[in-house]
Amino acid sequence: MPYKEPDPGDPHVLVGVALPADREAMEEMAYVFAEEYARLGYDRTRLLWLFKNPFYGGAHGAYQVLGEETVRAIIDECLAAWGGSRFSISDSGSPIDPGEIENRKSKIQNEEEER
Amino acid sequence: MPKVYNWQLGREMEYPYQGAYPRRQFAFVFNINRCIACQTCTMACKSTWTFSKGQEHMWWANVETKPYGGYPQFWDMKILKLLEEANPGGQQWTEPPTGDSRAPYGRFDGKTVFEAKQSLRPGSSRVLGYLPSDEEWNSPNIYEDNPVGKKGVPNQYDKEGVSGPEHKTWFFYLARICNHCSHPACLAACPRKAIYKRPEDGIVLIDQKECRGYRKCVEACPYKKSMYRGNTRVSEKCVACYPRIEGTDPESDGQPMETRCMAACVGQIRMQGLVQLNSDGTWAEDRQHPLYYLVHVAKVALPLYPQLGTEPNGYYIPPRWVPRPYLRQMFGPGVDEAIERYAYPDRELLAVLQLFRRSNRIIYRYEIEKGPKVYEATLRGRKITTYDDTVIAYGQDGKEIFRTAVEEPIYVRPGIHANSI
Repeated sequence: MPYKEPDPGDPHVLVGVALPADREAMEEMAYVFAEEYARLGYDRTRLLWLFKNPFYGGAHGAYQVLGEETVRAIIDECLAAWGGSRFSISDSGSPIDPGEIENRKSKIQNEEEER
Repeated sequence: MPKVYNWQLGREMEYPYQGAYPRRQFAFVFNINRCIACQTCTMACKSTWTFSKGQEHMWWANVETKPYGGYPQFWDMKILKLLEEANPGGQQWTEPPTGDSRAPYGRFDGKTVFEAKQSLRPGSSRVLGYLPSDEEWNSPNIYEDNPVGKKGVPNQYDKEGVSGPEHKTWFFYLARICNHCSHPACLAACPRKAIYKRPEDGIVLIDQKECRGYRKCVEACPYKKSMYRGNTRVSEKCVACYPRIEGTDPESDGQPMETRCMAACVGQIRMQGLVQLNSDGTWAEDRQHPLYYLVHVAKVALPLYPQLGTEPNGYYIPPRWVPRPYLRQMFGPGVDEAIERYAYPDRELLAVLQLFRRSNRIIYRYEIEKGPKVYEATLRGRKITTYDDTVIAYGQDGKEIFRTAVEEPIYVRPGIHANSI
């Protein structure tokens, strides 16, 4: 941190000044979010949740400015382009024995209960 | 004053020395669409070069949050303001981008830091600039992601948290190192000629024996990448990890390696290389060189503040979500074309983008082996087609370094090892 408190009269220490961003900029951001996550395999519900959740400030900010109808249209468009991706998982490691996972789970639970 | 040709401005410009260009030039491309500001590059550099007493404030590599962040604070706004004051209303690009590699971004008719003579203080100065204050150097990323404690309570974080400014609209991370400019302002300003550009790779270095710490380079560098060290009373700057570039790093096996900040990049946003130059400083055609392709063929990578006039050799793929006027100020008039091509990449660009960070060796050439079409779609009226091509990288010795495909396999940690920490 600086040695001195910022001098409010100094224009160079003004921080947090929002630069103007028009609707077009918001739309670009919304497309980027929707495209990126559609390519990661998110479906319509998860994508919309991403925009609706205030925790995700950027996406939610776009949602607030553009409105749900526009965001839904963007999501649908991105899903139409990228939503066809399907991931098939092939495990190159040793086969997983579901029983072993259950054993480990119960072992951990027992240890926690003993504590 | 002699004239040099600045291809990024599309014209000749004044420079205190005759143009002298290396055989190959150190250059790099950062894809800042992908930067997450993890600061791994920053720390890789810090732990290699600037960990000693007297270097505490030095970050040769840094990542700042734009538009409000900067190291030193407001470095870019301050130099742009000085230039605007020197040439009110005249800092304009007057001709549009062209297909000519001698003027790809059109023509800039404003004043560069070398041409604003009437604003120089004292009049004997050669370059327009300013000396940042200690406060400006001391707080990289002030008010950004750094948690701080309450004032007067040392060694503790603030338990209620601190509130910095929330930028509700947009921001992006700008990773920076010395641009090892073709017309370096630091070199031009040094009264002792202690700064030189190496003829073999264009790396700009300060001769520590010749430097007397006048700080003219600190004042002149518009990117503020020359820094003064108080306890040795000389200035220091990024050395482009030259032992690695030379292939003398023990790890390099005699082959040129990329710098520490490049090699450490978690987000795989960085690629660095050595490009061939013509005798006038323009880039020699080298069609299969990845940096030549990104800068001069695909034109997706643009110089940082080209209007300053130093012909920086750091190039950036601009972030596609940021308002265009801001980006045009930062990267020049090529922004719209660059974003259009990056957002809807063609077959070759998609393959070249896979070259980023698959190896720490410097790539001199690439080839593409064509693969099958794997995807086709339409987005915002534009057709997207993906081919699973294989791109092959070759090193200085002409031997293959690696090959990689457009379609990457995704590895999922088995459930049994889901959390092995």
